[in-house]
Formats: sequence, structure tokens, C-alpha cells
Amino acid sequence: MKPAGRRWRLPGQHWLLVIPPYLWLLLFFLAPFAIVFKISLAESTIAQPPYTALYEYVNDVLTLRLSFSNYLFLLTDSLYFDAYVSSLRIAAISTLICLVIGYPIAYGIARAQGPMQSLLLMLVVLPSWTSFLIRIYAWMGILRNNGIINTVLMALGVVDEPVRMMNTELAVYIGIVYTYLPFLVLPLYSNLVKLDNRLLEAATDLGAGPVSRFLRITLPLSMGGVIAGCMLVFIPVVGEFVIPELLGGSETLMIGKVLWGEFFNNRDWPVASAVATVMLVVLLIPISLFHRYQFREMEGED
Amino acid sequence: MTETTTIAHPAGAGQPEPGSGGAAYIELVGVSKSFDGALAVNNVDLSIRKGELFALLGASGCGKSTLLRMLSGFEQPTSGDILLEGQSLTGLPANQRPFNMMFQSYALFPHMTVEQNLAFGLKQERMDKREIESRVGEMLERVQMSEYRKRKPDQLSGGQQQRIALARCLVKRPKLLLLDEPMGALDKKLRTRMQLEIANILESVGVTCVMVTHDQEEAMTMANRIAIMDGGRILQVGTPDEIYEQPNCRYTAEFIGSVNLFDGVIVDDEVDYVNIKSPQARNTLHIGHGISGFAGQPVSVAVRPEKIQISLQKPEQAFNCEAGEVDEIAYLGSHSVYHVKLGSGMDVLVTALNDERWAGERLTWQDKVWVYWDEHSAVVLTS
Ligand SMILES: Nc1ncnc2c1ncn2[C@@H]1O[C@H](COP(=O)(O)OP(=O)(O)OP(=O)(O)O)[C@@H](O)[C@H]1O
Ligand SMILES: [Mg+2]
Repeated sequence: MKPAGRRWRLPGQHWLLVIPPYLWLLLFFLAPFAIVFKISLAESTIAQPPYTALYEYVNDVLTLRLSFSNYLFLLTDSLYFDAYVSSLRIAAISTLICLVIGYPIAYGIARAQGPMQSLLLMLVVLPSWTSFLIRIYAWMGILRNNGIINTVLMALGVVDEPVRMMNTELAVYIGIVYTYLPFLVLPLYSNLVKLDNRLLEAATDLGAGPVSRFLRITLPLSMGGVIAGCMLVFIPVVGEFVIPELLGGSETLMIGKVLWGEFFNNRDWPVASAVATVMLVVLLIPISLFHRYQFREMEGED
Repeated sequence: MTETTTIAHPAGAGQPEPGSGGAAYIELVGVSKSFDGALAVNNVDLSIRKGELFALLGASGCGKSTLLRMLSGFEQPTSGDILLEGQSLTGLPANQRPFNMMFQSYALFPHMTVEQNLAFGLKQERMDKREIESRVGEMLERVQMSEYRKRKPDQLSGGQQQRIALARCLVKRPKLLLLDEPMGALDKKLRTRMQLEIANILESVGVTCVMVTHDQEEAMTMANRIAIMDGGRILQVGTPDEIYEQPNCRYTAEFIGSVNLFDGVIVDDEVDYVNIKSPQARNTLHIGHGISGFAGQPVSVAVRPEKIQISLQKPEQAFNCEAGEVDEIAYLGSHSVYHVKLGSGMDVLVTALNDERWAGERLTWQDKVWVYWDEHSAVVLTS
């Protein structure tokens, strides 16, 4: 238990430090969200902007018109519910795959010595130096029916006709895991690199072999990094639009695609806003989980 | 793959009394360790008896920790062998040795409670759950930490953490307990208390223990026997009083306590006495027993400050007696340390009890005094 006074030791300076990030949040997150939320309570019209005003002030009477029809509409059409579930499922599976691939990578980098470590870290970040879109297009080139993989497979005589990979859910997973892997590896690495080697020595001394050491010391102590990394993958993947749009097919249902369709194809801004608001509410649980662990990590450091 | 600590015992091996001159329990034979060509431990032979508390004492970097880590199995000797009850431990990895080490930093697992920390090693042995519980409870009682069983290590004080670290080793009932600088992380006041407390716990458990320290007081307080190490070698092994009263070399004499050293050569080497001439002393240094030396051999004569008398009157004896002047006095209450400057320029330390009734009777600065000692008080050092 911490003494109550401790966190607020230097009130004046503390507030100066805290204000900029809050201003930032207010300006770039809270304000846009307030606008989206406001639109989600309006009704669609053919006008400019394409939704009704929330309030009117006529003849000294303030009329507030809050429409919940957009939210109710989401319930009537199973498309939305299915899209949410499908997004969460794809995000969860991708996160799991990222974890399975990313943990050994992060562990390997954390255990590497000196210059080798910097080199490996560099290799993890290096791909993000090219544009995300270009890299996704590159994957299209690899996965196409007449792409690299199929050309090689056919030349070797492994298959007679091209394996369909483009526009499948497999392609979506490949794209997501490829893109988001560094977001899992980096926080996990920074956690694992702090692991005190003497704890592992103590465990060895008490009779633990390598498997037992990993399961009972390394893994539980790296849980903060695992959660942080997983949330950094899971949260953005739920709303992912570009990867399923470019690599996925019509069967890949994701909420980001639905959202895009409402905004740009149906021009139904209020329903699109309602979709976005619900998505945020759904994500509140993993986001708060992430912040709790992030906070704990930081607390552990000081 | 087995992770349990099992080692076969030679059947019917008699257990010698602790501390007695019985057969070696743990034996190091010509153990050396080099790191990138540099010798950290140099050809060490050592035998440790069952039930004793053995201290490795030496200055920083002398190879104490390396020796301890070879015992624990974290390092493999470059050459030589380590035997437990006559059986070689070579090649037996650290997690299979029936030895446990208490780390200087304690290395308590931060994500586990006190209880879970203690149970960790027992779970590795696949021990029955109820057995684990009773052993952990018993051990917590012994170190008087029962009421802290649900705490995490960061909610404990330094002394409490140390007791848990010790308990975590002892609960495994190791054949050998290794302590690396056990008091290193404690402040001075707590250190003195914990030295006695730990020594008591170890004695009540009856475990054989090797500890590493660079603090001579700690080694003297806690250990049954001490090995003095320097530059990877063992210089002397003995009980605390043997080491203090009969150092076998200058290094040991100077490392343990304070000492006055006269450098000189043997002039008379007889069966029952030795006379030594030193440029630092006007009169002959006389030792009342024979040594294995020869006339003309360069030696040092070591005299402890408390073995020297100080007086304003010239003593009767013609040997071991020098004139000087009180240069400095450190008053320490029960006794004082006098720095006496001899004619040769040498500074001699003398401790004297302050048992006179009047402070006015005491010696003071610039007093012309005589310092002298008995023919059995000095030790001749040949190296
Ligand atoms: N892993 C290692 N690699 C290279 N050299 C080492 C290693 N461990 C120890 N040494 C060297 O071996 C020598 C002895 O080290 P050791 O740690 O045993 O000293 P120590 O007596 O425990 O000293 P201290 O009291 O400072 O802990 C030192 O010169 C040290 O630099
Ligand atoms: Mg050391």
C-alpha cells in the first residue's frame, strides 16, 4: 500500500507535466468522438451535412431531438452483430498467432548479446520503414493466383493448378499477423529484457529445469508485456479496414468494412456513427485492461 | 527428464562429528577456474567437514564467488574435482545438486508470496502437497516469519527478506548451504543482529554451510573455520583464533585485525629460540620457540597491538623492547589505541585497557614511553 501523499509530491510541477497529454487526448480523441457520438443520435437526411441537427432553438423553445433509432437499427439487422463477432474473432485469432510467433522472437532478442540485440531489434522495425500500403500490395503479389508462391509451387510440380489464397480469410490473417507482429514483439521485448537473471539462477538452484523455469518464472513475470503486446494488436485489428478490404474476400466480414460501406456507399452517417460508437464501447474492456497493465508496469519501474 | 535432487550415498558411510577432524564431507581437489585465460581460482584444495560453518574470506575479486559458484554448479572448474562424500560432482548440473545457495540480492521471486517462494523448491521435487505445506510451515516458524506467509517479497524489510531467502534454501534440507555475502545488502546495525540470528538458525538446523564474505568480523563471528583467499589461492585455513593468533603469512596477519610488522633477518636460529634483527627495531627481536628457518633468512615479525605493553618505566627485559614517543591516541572508551613512534620512524600500534581510576594517570601525547612484549607474543612470518 502506498502512502497517499506520495503520488502528489510536487503538485505544481506534476500538473504542468500532465496537462499536455490530456490536452492532446481532448483535441484528437475526445472531441472527434463527441462529434461521432452526436451524429449517431441524429437522423439521416438528404442534405448537407447528411444528418439532422440535434437541437433547435425556435421561439424561445429549445427542442432537443435525440434519436436512438440508429442503435435500435443495429439490432434489427444481424449483419452488424455478425460483423462485430467476426471482427472480434479475427482479432482474437490474429492476436493469438502473433503471440505464438512473437514470444519466441521477443525472448530471443532479449537474450541476445550487445550488437546482435540491436541488429535483431532493427530487423523487427525495419519493414515499417516502407509504407504500410505498399507492403500489403506486395503481399497481393505474393499470394495471387499467378503470384510468387503459386508460380513456384507449379514450377516445382507440387500442384497442378494455383492454390487460391488471395481474397480468403487466410490472406487476411497473413496480412494482419505480418503487419501487427512488431507491436507485440516490442513491448514484450522491453519486458523480457528486464528479467533479472539471478531469479532464473535461484530457480535453477532450487531444482528447476529449463521448462519449469520458463513456466514458473519467465512467463508469469512477463505477463505485463504479454497483455500490453496483445492489446496493442487486438484493439486496432478489431477496427481494421485496409487489410480485409485488399486481401480478404466477400466472405470476410469485419466491422471496419461495414463502417466504410455505411459512410461511403450508403452515405448514412448516423448509422455509421452508431456502428463506430458501439465498437468503441466493445473495445473499452480490452483498452482498460491494457491501461491497467501499462500503469502497473510503469509503477513497477519507479 | 528428472528435476529431482537425488544422489546416491555410499552405503554405511560413518558420519563424523561436526567440526571434528573427521573425514572430509566435501572435498575440493586441485580446483582451478580461468576466465579467458585469467585464473580466478588457482589450484584450490579444501576439505569441508559435515555440520560446520565454513567461511571463505578475502578481498574483492579474490575469487570467492567463483569458488562458491563452482560448488553450486553454476560454473564448471577448468580443472580439478569437487567431491561430496567421496563422489565426484563433475558434470552434475546446478538444478540436480543437493546444494542450495542464498544469493546476495536474495533473488526472491517477486510474483510469489513468501509461502510460494518457500514451496517452489519442494514442488520441483514433486513432493506431496501436504508434506510441502507442513515443511513450509515448520520452516517459517523456525525463522519466525509465520505471520508474513501471505506477503509478497517487496512488502518485507531487508532483514525479513533475508530470513525468507535463507528459509527458502533450508526448507529443501540441502546437503550443503552456500551463502554469498549474506549480510551484503543490510545496513551495519542490522548486520550484527542478523549474523547471530543466522548463525543460530544454521546451528539449530545442523546444516553444513560455506559462506563467502569480505568482512573479517562477520567471518569470525559466524564461522567455525575460515579460509583466507588472495588472488585465487587459499593462503590459510583454520579456526578464527588460529587465523588470528597464528597467521602463516603477512597477508593473513594484515587482513585479520591490525598488526605490527617488523621486517628483518634471522641472526640466531636455535632449537628453542630465534633472534631476529630488524632495521625498524633498535633491540633484538626474540622469539621463545624454534621455527623452521635458517640464519640469514628474511622474515617478518608480527605482533598484535593488544599483546604489547606500554609504560613510562623501562622494563627489565633486553629483548622485544623499544623506546618511542606517543604520537596519537584513539580513545575508544573501554580501551585506547596508542600510536607510538619509534626511533627508527616506525609507527607501533598498542591497545591498552583504560582500567586506571583517574584519567590523569593515563599516558598523553608526546610522552616518552617504552613498548615491550613477551617472547611468546610475536609470530614469525616467512612469506
Ligand atoms: N563470468 C566471468 N567472466 C570473466 N571473469 C570473471 C567472471 N566471473 C568472475 N570473473 C573474474 O574472476 C575474478 C574473481 O571474481 P569473483 O567474483 O570470484 O571475486 P570475489 O572474490 O567474489 O569478489 P567480490 O568480493 O568483489 O564479490 C575477478 O577478477 C573477476 O573479474
Ligand atoms: Mg563476490
